[in-house]
Amino acid sequence: MNFSIMFDKEKCKGCTNCMKRCPTQAIRLKESKAFIDGTKCIHCGECIKICPHEAYSAQSVESHKEKNYKYKIAIPSTTIYGQFPKGTEICKVQNAILKLGFDYVYDESWASELVSKAIKKRIEENKNIRPFISTNCPSTVRLIKIRYPSLMEHLISLEAPMEIAAKVARQRAKQLFDLEDKDIGVFYISPCPAKLLAVTDPIGPNKSNINWVVPLNTIYGDLYREVKKENNLCYSNPSLKGIKWAVSGGQSESAELINYIAVNGMENIIDIFDEIENGKLSDVDFVETLACVGGCVGGTFNIENPFIASNTLKYIIYNTNEDTLLNDDLDKFDELYNEGIFDLTITEDKDQKDKLSIKDAVKRFEKIKEIVALLPGLDCGSCGAPTCFAHAEDIYENEAKLYDCVVLRAKSKEN
Amino acid sequence: MVFDSLIKRYSYTIIGNDFTTAGKSSSDIKSNLKAIGIDAKIIRKIAIISYEAEINIIIHSLGGQLHCDLYEDKIVITSEDIGPGIPDIEMAMTEGFSTASDNVRELGFGAGMGLPNMKRYSDDFEISSSSKGTIIIITVLI
Repeated sequence: MNFSIMFDKEKCKGCTNCMKRCPTQAIRLKESKAFIDGTKCIHCGECIKICPHEAYSAQSVESHKEKNYKYKIAIPSTTIYGQFPKGTEICKVQNAILKLGFDYVYDESWASELVSKAIKKRIEENKNIRPFISTNCPSTVRLIKIRYPSLMEHLISLEAPMEIAAKVARQRAKQLFDLEDKDIGVFYISPCPAKLLAVTDPIGPNKSNINWVVPLNTIYGDLYREVKKENNLCYSNPSLKGIKWAVSGGQSESAELINYIAVNGMENIIDIFDEIENGKLSDVDFVETLACVGGCVGGTFNIENPFIASNTLKYIIYNTNEDTLLNDDLDKFDELYNEGIFDLTITEDKDQKDKLSIKDAVKRFEKIKEIVALLPGLDCGSCGAPTCFAHAEDIYENEAKLYDCVVLRAKSKEN
Repeated sequence: MVFDSLIKRYSYTIIGNDFTTAGKSSSDIKSNLKAIGIDAKIIRKIAIISYEAEINIIIHSLGGQLHCDLYEDKIVITSEDIGPGIPDIEMAMTEGFSTASDNVRELGFGAGMGLPNMKRYSDDFEISSSSKGTIIIITVLI
């Protein structure tokens, strides 16, 4: 299992904050220390954000400088433009990235604009699937795989912009410089740990075109200094339609959709997925889901507060001249679409557990409900499981004991 | 092997015109089936059928019962209510036909898709109605 979330046992105080926050109930406390079940983790980064003791961090990746590729391509996330103070000349950002040791920059926003067009086209072409659900956020795609498998057919079968950026940039480098795939290193400058997982463990059967993921916060200091340097030149602007993707609702806006719902934050997404499962929202074209509050600007690797970053991005969109854009891939959209470079196959996770007969499964469930009836129903988390039901399941599976429950222990002492 | 024997029945009492808890019974059915490990596609069908059945009881009757019966090879949803019944079943099965009041429609219900949706997602659909109430029995094969 490729794992992007690191956990420092020493720092964990067993406070249960992460366990109660986890949207897939992947965390338990064992001997007062948190423990993640990798098969349930969707890498949304909620635990990193909520932990008051900084016990969680995203996997540290080796510096791109140490990697030996003949040709290094950087793909900066759309959120990067929201990280600098307002008024920063953003046409200099890509040049500053080059100076950090890259040979070429392909802005994610260029690919985002392309994918926006593909979304519009796909929705118009397929009238029998409603609503379509976005695939840009790897955490929400994984949430569907683990918790809402019946919604798999609603996922729009289009690659995320970072993957399209990598495909296009890689092809271009191969043609221009007569390079082979192994000579080219593609680095994604990421706003969140979920993107890291999307590279090491893709949602489809195909290998990612990205080689390494660089957390945005690890290069921000160097980048900011470069951007501010006097001799730093304007290089190219991002796509103004594309950078909308950094904020919740931006995908739909950029794709010129009207009948859409943009949901962000795991709890809200779960509510909406429940609605779709009940057969509702079949009159809505597109449901854009982003795990972080505010959208990708809320990812844990960003520097700026997500709401301030959204405001900065808006400022950029209204105050930037699009003429200084160095990208002509938009003219080739139809060609790229027909080539199928946007197409994504999503594979179902194989069920690891042996399937019980319905009779045995009901027996198991009824037994668990009997255990639940013994528990106080407070869902306090003190036993090390996020809810009394989860605790009862653990007891049934022999992974926990009834008297791990502090309330029951206290009551038995009273008597 | 006898496949016809009932493994488990989950029953719910539903109160007419009580919109505050609308959807609770069907959501409980859904979470039970998830916990048991029923195939996601089947759960989806049952979720839609039981939700529509529950809402119908709330909108159109004084109250009633919703049952979810589990068999090895099928799930049967039964909805029984006490109320005015359906005078013209054929009409009620038409998409978009609704007798729901404006008040109900303002709450976002009563679009006239309830019965047609229930039938669409079922493998067998039986309905009978009199001036005393309505019984609907819907089967989804596993």
